[in-house]
Amino acid sequence: MKGLIFDIKQFSVNDGEGIRETVFFKGCPLRCIWCHNPEGLLPSPELYERREGCLSCGLCRVPCEHEECRGYGRCLHICPQNLLREVGRYYEAEELAERLLSQKAFLDATGGGVTLSGGEPLLQADFCTALLSLLKGRLHLAIETSGYAPHADFVRVISLCDFVMMDLKLMDEEAHRRYTGVSNQSILENARWLKESGIPFVFRTPLIPGITDTEENLSSIAAFAGNSPVELLPYNPLAGAKYASVHRTYTGPSEKADGRIPELSVFENVRLRKK
Amino acid sequence: MKPQLKSLYDYYVIDRTHRSLRTPCGIDFSAEFSALGLDPAERMCRRFERVTAMELPRILPDEQIVLTRSVSEIGDIFTEEEWKKIRAEHYVHESGYVSNLSPDYEGMIRDGFDARYGDADAHQRRMMDAIAALCDRYREEAERMGREDVAMVLSRVPRKGARNFREALQFFRILHFSLWLEGDYHNTVGRFDQYIYPYYKKDRDAGVYTKEEAFDLLCDFFLSFNKDSDMYFGQQQGDNGQSMVLGGTDIDGNDCYNELSELCLLASGELKLIDPKINLRVNKNTPLEVYEAGSRLTKAGLGFPQYSNDDVVIEGLEKMGYAREDAVNYVVAACWEFIIPGVGDDIANIGALNLPLAVDKTLRAHGAACADFESFFAEVKKEIRAECDRIGENIHDVYFVPSPFMDLLRKGRKYRNFGVHGCGVASAADALAAIKKHVYDEKTLSVSQLIDAMDHNFENDPVLLHKLRYESPKMGCEGGESAADMSVRVLDAFSEALSGRTNCLGGHWRAGTGTAMFYLWHAAELGATADGRRNGEPFGTNFSPSLFAKTEGPVTVVEHFTAADMEKTLNGGPLTLEFASSMFSEEDSIRKLAMLIKYFISRRGHQLQLNAVNPERMREAQRDPDAYRQLVVRIWGWSAYFVELDKPFQDHVIARQEYSL
Repeated sequence: MKGLIFDIKQFSVNDGEGIRETVFFKGCPLRCIWCHNPEGLLPSPELYERREGCLSCGLCRVPCEHEECRGYGRCLHICPQNLLREVGRYYEAEELAERLLSQKAFLDATGGGVTLSGGEPLLQADFCTALLSLLKGRLHLAIETSGYAPHADFVRVISLCDFVMMDLKLMDEEAHRRYTGVSNQSILENARWLKESGIPFVFRTPLIPGITDTEENLSSIAAFAGNSPVELLPYNPLAGAKYASVHRTYTGPSEKADGRIPELSVFENVRLRKK
Repeated sequence: MKPQLKSLYDYYVIDRTHRSLRTPCGIDFSAEFSALGLDPAERMCRRFERVTAMELPRILPDEQIVLTRSVSEIGDIFTEEEWKKIRAEHYVHESGYVSNLSPDYEGMIRDGFDARYGDADAHQRRMMDAIAALCDRYREEAERMGREDVAMVLSRVPRKGARNFREALQFFRILHFSLWLEGDYHNTVGRFDQYIYPYYKKDRDAGVYTKEEAFDLLCDFFLSFNKDSDMYFGQQQGDNGQSMVLGGTDIDGNDCYNELSELCLLASGELKLIDPKINLRVNKNTPLEVYEAGSRLTKAGLGFPQYSNDDVVIEGLEKMGYAREDAVNYVVAACWEFIIPGVGDDIANIGALNLPLAVDKTLRAHGAACADFESFFAEVKKEIRAECDRIGENIHDVYFVPSPFMDLLRKGRKYRNFGVHGCGVASAADALAAIKKHVYDEKTLSVSQLIDAMDHNFENDPVLLHKLRYESPKMGCEGGESAADMSVRVLDAFSEALSGRTNCLGGHWRAGTGTAMFYLWHAAELGATADGRRNGEPFGTNFSPSLFAKTEGPVTVVEHFTAADMEKTLNGGPLTLEFASSMFSEEDSIRKLAMLIKYFISRRGHQLQLNAVNPERMREAQRDPDAYRQLVVRIWGWSAYFVELDKPFQDHVIARQEYSL
């Protein structure tokens, strides 16, 4: 069983308890306009091309013999500035599990563990299940998910996790379609199940200026969450930074957040993450 | 910051008014002394007396710890001709004045000048008289200003021993002031929180100070390290060796971290000044809260504290022949070299070995003739040994200018070992791993092709450059285990090459992992190297990944840089990790950073230095220096105001890899 991963990040401190090793799954069914990981969207390997520092030497345009460079029209093994790479690598579940387990001493010592993130890990539900089964009981396992997945996939993957960070972005279905590209019906169904599951979790809402941080949306999220914990994530004004590297255009809000602190009193159990 | 402290801070740090009030000394001591044919000790004594007599007392309204230099531009005691003669007959270490010692402040603060008079020689007596007379003038000035508090302290110290916290701090200031005035440099502070603690505790127990009041006094005292430091110039401004060591264990293994240690960490974070330079001794049992306190200081962006691991350092020093009672008392010299207060007379930075150059020379001389990597590495070891021979041959008949005042603060000269920096460990290890892989194991690269490409700075072979630079094993990077293995072998070879040698003073040689400024100088002696480093690129500072290695993250870096047995290469030189300053916004990340440090210590890393950096601010500071006068950065073993550095040092700091979380 192979899974497609676009990054493995050591020493993540914002992706769950303790120090985490975060595995970023490549491919996402959502197209949130504020997404800051555009290289996680496409469910296949792609060319990642940084522009800053390019000498325009043209070396990468000279045809090469490498199998892995085919289709890109560029050689990945020659840039003197190391600006070109293929993003997205296939791992066998066993291979990835072994790599993560090699960090067990450190992760355990810090009360941390592994976090699956993305992209959307649930898009590769079978691989998630295989990987989590290999790690279950040996490392603390967390997941960051949009919750957008067939209910059966959601249940079997989430049931293997020790902690769940699930987004509640927009409660209005139409707005959800407009800004993320998909309906929120399956997300809400999965969220309701999560609330009853007994698995520790937190709902997360990114505060996107004028989109998700409206009084109406936050009130609806608060009402839905009830006494469940909610974490509000400030908008990252650098969200668009990586788009050019994967040949996409950022269409999210470009203005900086206005610094206004959202009304928290509507929530029963909320935490606002600092910038 | 309290208003009283703020006014002192503005005066000494922001406006620096006192600097403009200084008078140049104006005396040509060397010509005068030379004409009189005075011996060196007499010259040191006489210059000290004359300058001290010229000093003018100046006390600010809210200042508690007094003594600020008012005389500048003090000339040398020897003429150029005389120095030429000395240098012809001797090995003169750096400027020739004593440096990098950890004086015995403790004994003198306890005893006072009067109690030492009987044992002192004539020069020392005259110097004590001179400084005591200056203190009298300060006392009179205090009386004139109605500052009974200052006058009272100075009616006791320095002639008599200190009885309380304030007197102890003032006495320290007098001694430190005197050492700098004598001409000694890199005058370290030592285990301040240990030898001052009895005074502190006595006053706290008696209710003289609340913790907060003691903190205010300590901040006033910390400012004193920054009053005259522009006159303590090393390689760059800020390189002045005012290192303070906190915490650590005693001879019974008890943890000595105390309330004063905690206040020192807080004072450094409050003032955000480059002096004193804070070091924290820890061990495998150090509680997480201590690392958290340290991490909160790291957040201040000064590059403090630097951690050293008692578990490794004490055992390692003992193995090198230091007595246990001395080893447990270790401190750091100006940067990170481990030395012993009071009794140590080591020259911990006498030389530096260019490890990547040793690899490069071996490749050129023997690479093609070697059938396999093992025979190649045997040649590398020979080259390292030969380089150690060359360093040793140059050092004989070591000369130091006499230092009568410093000698008052010495209890002996038990240790006269020489320390050698091992510069460019990661670059050398990466180059060896690349040579092993491509040349000897996979045989995809010939020695002549490699040398030819290096000689062309890889411009004739971009494919090879990319392969060596970005696709070969690197310390700190994924797949870099073989490079980490090479670091173990290189450091073993280095320590073996020095072990068993006796230096010209009868001491040993110590191998280390520091670079000092050699990360620029040594790199400039080499062209492009087999690790894919281009001609002209510097090495990493101290014991750190190569600048262009795209490391996997701090955990892998910690693991690769704790692979070697650091007890064998214990002259000092930390692993340096840079973190984006933005990661420190949450208290939770402070705790997580503390865990990483604890992990480093548990893996028997010897020394660790962490920085909170913001490269964007540094770039802005290069464009608009006036707007960033207070921006502090860590250089190699000390911190500095960014805008006061020469550009190559600025650029190096910007280029170091930071970890964002």
